Amino acid sequence: MTPDAQRKRAIGHILLLAAGLFVLTAISAGSVFLVNKARKDARAVVHTLEVENQLSLVQLQLRRAESAQRGYLATLQPDFQADFEQAISQLTPALTKLSQLISDNPVQRRLINEMMPLYDQRLEEFRTTIELARSQRMNDATKLVREGIGRDTMKHIADIASQMRAEEDRLFVERTTDADRSQTLAASLTGIGSGFVVVLAGIAIFLVRRSSHARDQADARLRDSHLNLEATVDERTADLREANDEIQRFAYIVSHDLRSPLVNIMGFTSELEELRGDIFKRIAALSRAQSEAPAAPENATDTAEPALEGADKQLSQDFSEALGFIKSSIGKMDRLITAILNLTREGRREFEPVWIDTKELFEAIVTTVAHQAAEAQAEIRIDALPNIVSDRLALEQIFSNLIDNALKYLKTGVPGEILVRGRTKLGFAIFEISDNGRGIDPKDHQRIFDLFRRAGTQDKPGQGIGLAHVRALVRRLGGTMSVSSELHQGSTFTITLPINWPAGNRKTRT
Amino acid sequence: MSNPVTIIMIEDDEGHARLIERNIRRSGVNNEIIPFTSGTAALNYLFGSDGTGLDHKGCAFLILLDLNLPDASGIDILKRVKENKYLKTTPVVVLTTTDDSHEIKRCYELGCNVYITKPVNYESFANAIRQLGLFFSVIQVPPAAI
Repeated sequence: MTPDAQRKRAIGHILLLAAGLFVLTAISAGSVFLVNKARKDARAVVHTLEVENQLSLVQLQLRRAESAQRGYLATLQPDFQADFEQAISQLTPALTKLSQLISDNPVQRRLINEMMPLYDQRLEEFRTTIELARSQRMNDATKLVREGIGRDTMKHIADIASQMRAEEDRLFVERTTDADRSQTLAASLTGIGSGFVVVLAGIAIFLVRRSSHARDQADARLRDSHLNLEATVDERTADLREANDEIQRFAYIVSHDLRSPLVNIMGFTSELEELRGDIFKRIAALSRAQSEAPAAPENATDTAEPALEGADKQLSQDFSEALGFIKSSIGKMDRLITAILNLTREGRREFEPVWIDTKELFEAIVTTVAHQAAEAQAEIRIDALPNIVSDRLALEQIFSNLIDNALKYLKTGVPGEILVRGRTKLGFAIFEISDNGRGIDPKDHQRIFDLFRRAGTQDKPGQGIGLAHVRALVRRLGGTMSVSSELHQGSTFTITLPINWPAGNRKTRT
Repeated sequence: MSNPVTIIMIEDDEGHARLIERNIRRSGVNNEIIPFTSGTAALNYLFGSDGTGLDHKGCAFLILLDLNLPDASGIDILKRVKENKYLKTTPVVVLTTTDDSHEIKRCYELGCNVYITKPVNYESFANAIRQLGLFFSVIQVPPAAI
């Protein structure tokens, strides 16, 4: 998948989530709003019902007061008067409550304002009649009732009450409708929102499935490429190994074939040497014959012969010198070729890891160099050393080379001190071989590890192979080596080797 | 056996051939030396026109063989000689620059009689060749098998 498509997909996911969040928020807000509205509507409906109820209560109390008045007038029993008083006492707060309840509605307020004086009038009438009755003026009281003013007032009150009820009914219908509408709205909003959410969830599921499919594909591709990579690595390793083998073979064949002409050069040089002997013998015989045959000019021969002999001698010496150079060069070349041959042979040897008591190994090496050590007046000390698993022969070669070098390059006239120390660190054994010898100039630290290269005063025989060989061996054993040294300050060679060199490390990789 | 031993020298390097011949002569061996510079020519001679080796039935040979030949491997020549019923008793001296222990072992396994490494140190080489000559003059070389 291209990065562009990936970015697009990520943006799509974010947009989808944002849309979902937005829809949910909108639904929640809408729902809260509508529920609140519905609750308000319901409250309004309840309010209307309450108003109607209160209205009825007011009328009821009025009727009660009226009937108590009538009863009192008819019987003059004080019970009725008490009833009347009770009704009156309940009527006033009921009226107050009613007026409070409808205070938000101007229509009703107008109506109640109209109604209030009627009530007062009516109540006044009741009181008057009851007062008259009590003061034994029954006729006046009945006359007052008969006049029918009270009935008219009552009728008027009933009219206004019915108007108010009608108004409340209208409000009830209106508010019920409102409440219904907001409930319907809330329901439909929830429904639509749920629909949206379901659609978004569907899209999300689709996207997730698609991306998980893409991930599976990417996984498979990754696995494939991983396998490919391993195959490639194997292939490259095989190629490298082949190339390495090729180089080894090449080095072997070259060094081998170089020896063949060398045999001829050496052989015929020796033949020349023999010829030289013959030739100079002949020359000597000839010159003697010449000097003997004309024996008469004695002084001439006396002067000529030493001169002639001198020239012959010079020739013979030059001849010998030339041959000597040729032979020593051949000898050197032969040693180099042999060294390369040995190196290639070493390079082809399979290592065999075994448990090695390194202290014992060093002691064995010290025993073999005891003679050189005694000659150089050198003392070799071996500290406690970690034991390791490695190739015994390789270790022997590594350490005996280093000890040999330490003995070989001591300072003349100074008793040598060679110290072998060891320690372990993180699965590696570190060996340090230090001496108080002539040291190595830091600029030569790299050079001494190169094949056929040497450093410092060239007063000791050597091919410049030892350290190159040692380093190659250390590397093959999975280790590293380094040197720290200053001229005239002695040297310390540090070899780091794995403590447990895995058996067949190289073989398992082949 | 009054048959004089013929020395077959298979050596591609003429210089080596000359050195070997000189040293053999110097050690007092005067047998006939037939030099070959290639394996094919030597094999053609040894196995004769019919390729069976019948031509040289009863001849006494001694083969000096170089292992590194341009056209054939000395090992192959050694093997063929040792497998041939007329030639298998012929002593073969392998002369080569290789001192590889595997190769030496291989040659002895195939029936080589003497293995001499050509050293660059000429004195020791000459010595070896001379001793070889001495060796030839004392041993009774059997004629190719009947």
